[in-house]
Amino acid sequence: MSGCQKAARPLAQCLRSSQALCQSARAIRLFTRSSRLSEEAVTETASFTTTPIYDPEAVTSSKEEKKLMKTGVFPIGSRRRRAAIKTSENILFEQLPYQCFQEARKVLQADREEKLQLIAKERLRISNLIATDPKSINGGRKFKQVRLDSMRRHLEYLKIQADINDPLIKKRFEDGQGDMTKPIYRYLADRKWRDYQRKIIVQRIEQLAVVPDVLPFFEPTAEVRLAFRQKNVQPGEFVDSRISEVSARLKVQVFDKGERLVTVAVVDSDVPIVDKDWFASRCHYLAANIPLSPTETSLPLSKATEGQLIHPWLPAFAQKGSPYHRYTVFVLQQKPGQILDTATLKEKIKRDGFSMRRFVDRNNVTPIGMSIFRSIWDEGTAGVMQRAGIEGADIEFKRKKVVALKPKQKARGWEARHASDKYKSLRR
Amino acid sequence: MLLPRLQPPLRAALASIARSSPSGTSTACLNEAFAALALKPLVFVRHASHAQQGAVNKAKDGPGKRLGAKKSGEQYVIPGNIIFRQRGTHWFPGENCAMGRDHTIYATESGYVKYYKDPEKHGKRQYIGVVFKRDQVLPLPRNSHRRRRLNMVAVKMEVPPTATEPVVTDLLLEGSGVGGRKEVKVRKKKGERKGEEGRNLKLRPGYMYREANWEIGRAAERAGVNVKAFKPRDRWTAWKKREVRFAKNAEKRSLGRKIGGK
Repeated sequence: MSGCQKAARPLAQCLRSSQALCQSARAIRLFTRSSRLSEEAVTETASFTTTPIYDPEAVTSSKEEKKLMKTGVFPIGSRRRRAAIKTSENILFEQLPYQCFQEARKVLQADREEKLQLIAKERLRISNLIATDPKSINGGRKFKQVRLDSMRRHLEYLKIQADINDPLIKKRFEDGQGDMTKPIYRYLADRKWRDYQRKIIVQRIEQLAVVPDVLPFFEPTAEVRLAFRQKNVQPGEFVDSRISEVSARLKVQVFDKGERLVTVAVVDSDVPIVDKDWFASRCHYLAANIPLSPTETSLPLSKATEGQLIHPWLPAFAQKGSPYHRYTVFVLQQKPGQILDTATLKEKIKRDGFSMRRFVDRNNVTPIGMSIFRSIWDEGTAGVMQRAGIEGADIEFKRKKVVALKPKQKARGWEARHASDKYKSLRR
Repeated sequence: MLLPRLQPPLRAALASIARSSPSGTSTACLNEAFAALALKPLVFVRHASHAQQGAVNKAKDGPGKRLGAKKSGEQYVIPGNIIFRQRGTHWFPGENCAMGRDHTIYATESGYVKYYKDPEKHGKRQYIGVVFKRDQVLPLPRNSHRRRRLNMVAVKMEVPPTATEPVVTDLLLEGSGVGGRKEVKVRKKKGERKGEEGRNLKLRPGYMYREANWEIGRAAERAGVNVKAFKPRDRWTAWKKREVRFAKNAEKRSLGRKIGGK
C-alpha cells in the first residue's frame, strides 16, 4: 500500500461510516409523510379468503397487473416506475430536497401569481366591456363583439400560461389522470394529439384521397379512434369482413369545452357500378343527436336510441375482384341547439348514392373528426353478405380487356407466307 | 504530341565525324556519331497544328435519340402508351399518367391526352394528363371529386362461394347489433378427413387455419390409438415384434432388388 493510501485510510473509513449512517438515515426515513410501500404490513382481515387490493401505482409482476386490470383499473406508468415507487421513500415531488429545483419552483410560482392577477384583470375588463353601451364605443356593436372575442381568446391564453409550467399538472396528464373539464389538460391532450396521431390521420386523408372524393375540404379537430369489439383499428387498416360485421365503437376526444350534439356517418365511397363504369357511395351507418363532451368520449354505435338512429349498421363488404373499399367514419358537429329530425331523415336519406357533401350542406353540420378503414373480399365475405341479406356474393369483377390501338402484326416467315392451299403440297 | 528536334544533334554528330574522320575508320566514325547523338539532349517543340486536333477536343454530337411528344393533345391513348420522351422533366405526369425511370411520361388509363399547367399544384411546372372525355378540361376545379373509371366487368362465379355457418354463442358483447340481435362467432367447418376428426382449426394471424400445438400433441389420444405397455420380461412379444420387423425388412430388400437391380 502506498503512503498516500495509508494516509487516506482513516478518511475513507470515516466516509464509509457516514455513508452507512446515511443509509440508515434513509432506513429511519426522515422528512416523509408516506411510508415505504414494501414496509407496510399486510392487514389481516377476519376472513381467510382475502382479496388483496392492488395499488395501480405499485403493481410490479404481470400476475398482479392482470388481476388489477380485471377489476377495471389500469396500472399507471411503466413497470420500472411502479417498482421504483414501491421501493423508494416516496418523497412528495414538490418537497424534493434540491436547492436549484426549489429555487426554480419559486420562480415558477411567482410567474403563476402574476398570471392569475392578469386573469383577474382580464375578467374585470371583459365584464366592464359587456356592461358598456355599444353606442359609446367607437365602431358600434360589431366592434364591441370583436373586442370581446379577442379579449376572451386572450383570457384562454392566460389560463393556459398560468398552468403550463406546473410539473405536477404535466405528471397528472401523462398518467392519464387529467381532468378534461380544465382547459390546461385539454390543451395538453390537443398538443399530444397534434404531435403524432393527427399527422397520421392527415396523411391517410391524402393517401386514400378522402378529401376530394368524400368531402371538398376537411381539417380534423377531434381525435377519433375506431374499434370493433376488442380489436382496435389503425386508420386505413384492412379489416376482415367478419370483424366489421358488428357495429363499431368510437372513442372521440374533443379539445374545446362544452357539451355538443354530433352526427356519426359511415360511408363506403367505392361501390362499383358496372353500367355506368364508375364508383358510387353508400351509407353504412347514420345516427344523429349523440351527446359528446370532453369527458364523455365513448360512442358505441350499437347503443344509439330510436331518436338518434337513422340507418343501422350495415356490415362492410367488398365483392370479389373489386378494388378495395374505403369506409370513412365521420363525426359531424351540429350547431348549438340544432336537433336533427331522425324520423324525416330516415325517409329522405337513402343508403345508396349517399353523398356526404350534400348531407353536410343540407343539415349545416361541421365535420370535426374522422377515421377510416378498408375492406376487400376475403373468405368470410360471402357469409357476411348472406347473413345481412345482401345479394351479389356470387358476382366476380374481372378487368375489362383493353383494345390495342395497333393492328395485330401479320405473321412472318416462310410458314406464314406458304400457309394457303396453293402450297398444300409443300406442307409437311 | 511534341516531337523531338533531331536536326541540331544530327548536325553536331556529323561535325564530330568530319573532325575525327582522318584518324578513324567509317564504323568507328558511325559509332562516334551515334554516341554524340545519345549524349546531346533532345529539344522538344510544339507545332501550330497537330493530327489529333480534329477528334479529341471537339464537342460530341451523336445520333439523335428521337425524344419529344409521341402523342399530341386530345389524342386517344390506352394504358401504357408513351406520350412524351424527355431528358429530365420538362413535363410532369398529371392525371392518370405516370413517369418511367428515364422520365418518360406514359398513360395509365384509356382516354385523351391533355397538356396543361396547374398553378395551384406548382407554379412553374407543366403537366401531361389523360381524361376520359375529350371535352374535359384539366386542371380539375379545386376540391372537386376525382374522375374515376371502374374498368371492370361483372361475371357470375362458376362455383358460388360457400357461406360459412355461424356458431351461435350466448355471449352478448358490447357492440352487438341493434335490437339485441345475438352476435355470431363464425367457425369454419372443413370437410373432416379420416384420421383428422375432432380437429379444431382456428383462424390465426396471417389468415392461416391452425390448431394449437398442444392439440396436435393430443391427436393420438383423440384418435384412440392403443399402444400396448412394454413389458420387460415378455420375450414372446419381443420375438413376435422382431419377426415382423425382419419380414418387413426382407421384403423391402427384395423389392429394391427387383426394381433397382438391372
